[in-house]
Amino acid sequence: MADAEYVIELTNVTRTYKLGGETFNALDNVSLSVKPGEFIAIIGPSGSGKSTLANIIGGLDRPDNGTVLVDGNDISKLHDGQLSAYRNHHIGFVFQSFNLQGNNTTMENVMLPLVFAKLSRKERNARAIECLQSVGLGDRLKHKTNQLSGGQRQRVAIARALAVKPSIIVADEPTGNLDSARGQEIMSLLHKLNKEGITLLIITHDQSLANQAHRIVEIRDGKLTGRRG
Amino acid sequence: MRFSDYVLIALRNIWRAKLRSALTIFAVVIGAMSVTIMLALVTGAKSFFLSQVEANGTLQQVAISPQQDITNFNDAQHSGGGNCSANCVKLTDDIAGKIRAVPHVVGVTRVANQGMLAAIGYNGQLLTLNQTNAYDANGIIVNNVLAGRDLNASDATGVITMTSDYADKFGFKGNYQGIIGKTVKLQTQNFYRGVGATVQPPQQCDGPCNPNNHPDDQPTTLTAQVVGIIDTSNESKSIRVPLEWMRQMQENQMYQMTAADQAANEAEQTKCQRQPGPCNPTQHFSLIVTDMLAQNGYSSMIAKVDNSKNAASAATAIKKLGVGAADASASVKQQLTVFNIVGLVLGGIGGIALAVAAVGVVNTMVMAILERTREIGVMRAVGAKRSTVRSLFTIEASLLGFWGGVIGVLAGFGLTRIANILVNKQLASQSVKAHNIIGLPLWLILAVIGIATLIGMLAGLYPAARAAKLDPVEALRYE
Ligand SMILES: Nc1ncnc2c1ncn2[C@@H]1O[C@H](COP(=O)(O)OP(=O)(O)O)[C@@H](O)[C@H]1O
Ligand SMILES: [Mg+2]
Repeated sequence: MADAEYVIELTNVTRTYKLGGETFNALDNVSLSVKPGEFIAIIGPSGSGKSTLANIIGGLDRPDNGTVLVDGNDISKLHDGQLSAYRNHHIGFVFQSFNLQGNNTTMENVMLPLVFAKLSRKERNARAIECLQSVGLGDRLKHKTNQLSGGQRQRVAIARALAVKPSIIVADEPTGNLDSARGQEIMSLLHKLNKEGITLLIITHDQSLANQAHRIVEIRDGKLTGRRG
Repeated sequence: MRFSDYVLIALRNIWRAKLRSALTIFAVVIGAMSVTIMLALVTGAKSFFLSQVEANGTLQQVAISPQQDITNFNDAQHSGGGNCSANCVKLTDDIAGKIRAVPHVVGVTRVANQGMLAAIGYNGQLLTLNQTNAYDANGIIVNNVLAGRDLNASDATGVITMTSDYADKFGFKGNYQGIIGKTVKLQTQNFYRGVGATVQPPQQCDGPCNPNNHPDDQPTTLTAQVVGIIDTSNESKSIRVPLEWMRQMQENQMYQMTAADQAANEAEQTKCQRQPGPCNPTQHFSLIVTDMLAQNGYSSMIAKVDNSKNAASAATAIKKLGVGAADASASVKQQLTVFNIVGLVLGGIGGIALAVAAVGVVNTMVMAILERTREIGVMRAVGAKRSTVRSLFTIEASLLGFWGGVIGVLAGFGLTRIANILVNKQLASQSVKAHNIIGLPLWLILAVIGIATLIGMLAGLYPAARAAKLDPVEALRYE
């Protein structure tokens, strides 16, 4: 792990889907470099490849071509165990539809990544409380997440993403299911985390939210088209 | 991920789909319960059988038969009597003495079983007798005495013990003590010539005739005092008489012309010839008593050895005397094999029930994985490996099997306890000592739970592999 200038470095990344004999590039020769602590907004029309890009950076998906260096290591070459550990230790995912376990408490949801990180029960509890407090839900520890509002749910999801102290948070349309006021709250929360040093990638449709980023990356038909910032 | 976390998460997921889990577990319960009950029955019957063998001292015995080619202990005991012709040696007192001298043999019982007594009567009621047993009352053959006492060496004639079914029929059910000391009648077959028979003096024949032929020969009635009632579980409808009495019953009393009679007859003949006129000389006969038991030999013998380990070698040594001999180990082994086979068959039936339950587990797990696809995606996103997902679902399926096994064993255990109580009540009403017919040893409990868990695990392998194979991106998009 060299003292890299970039925390994330995508080079000529292509992700190909085969649909009924025809091949289709969801990502087409994408190169992107992200500095540590950077806040990047990824925008583009529906189906343009935003989520595919986020998933590849987050280690949920693998490119068919190209390299994905994170802290200088090519994560596209890792085997399942290593890639899972990478997601567990370095990445916090935030999804549009929250993806919480509704019947479980906020604590249990936040502790899930810590279970896979083999923390002791005591450590898990302490860390989950800490994370829930930092997203302003210190008074909702024993609530089931399906008893919470949308904005609260997304904050639980952010607390879960924070649990393992990731270096990168990948948020795929985190405000997509929220009204604009709730959306702005979530944006402010993410912004605050970024200021504390976490590299932040946010996918959004909302131009005004995107404008809060250090840099906007626009993607169309799997190709990066514009950069600003 | 820690094992306890796997178990906790799996338990939580089982609890979450309560009804479906309960139904799946129920199927396993049925299977585990039937396996438990069936195996419990077989092991119980087996240990009951072994305890009987132990109590009888059978393993320390060698059965000796006049049939030289006998190899089975039970056949040897019941082969005697009847005609001794080919491959056959008479079991005489002389042979008994030689057997006693065989190394490790500590005693010999001579057995004479005969059917010469046809019926037993008490208080005007006459019951058919299947068999009359007689043997040396030297403690080698042990009976389970329900009332009174067993025959002992000082008994000679006029006493019997009977199996409890007779006492029942004579109206002493539940009160066997009541018939002890009572006198019963023993009715012989026709043409009985043993002790107590009134043998007619020969007809005076004028020309060729059998002077001992009495077409009107009637059964003889003997009387005996009942001294003991014996458990029916080994043999029913039989009485035991002292060996000495049996010897006397088997005696043949017959008028015969001895040399002295012959001389006397000839003397009379000569006297007649000398005398003119009609002369009707008296024929002289003597009542001769033949010991038929000594002549024909005993129906079987039982030798007791010092230690069951020496039974086989003693049997071999006894065979060298020219008689048939067999120890019980082979037939006990054979019987145990029968129990084992029955156990396998019955266990197999329960196994089929478990196999059906396994299909239920597969079905439940496939459904669970469909329902929780998105959740699997989330787990993968936050760091679960494929193998973690696989283990999680395998453990969940194993737990379905485990709970089914635990509940099934408990239910089976409960049912066998109830059955035991009923069986023992039944036995007690027949005045048979209570036994734990249905056994449920710890190994069986653990084995059934283990097998149910294993079946759950195996049933979970395929669904778990499917869950592990899911692409996390697809899983997260799954509606
Ligand atoms: N599993 C798949 N099979 C085929 N096509 C796919 C699959 N996943 C995504 N795509 C296609 O790839 C393109 C990019 O998808 P995505 O990255 O989800 O778009 P966005 O997030 O920008 O809306 C879309 O056209 C989508 O239909
Ligand atoms: Mg998308």
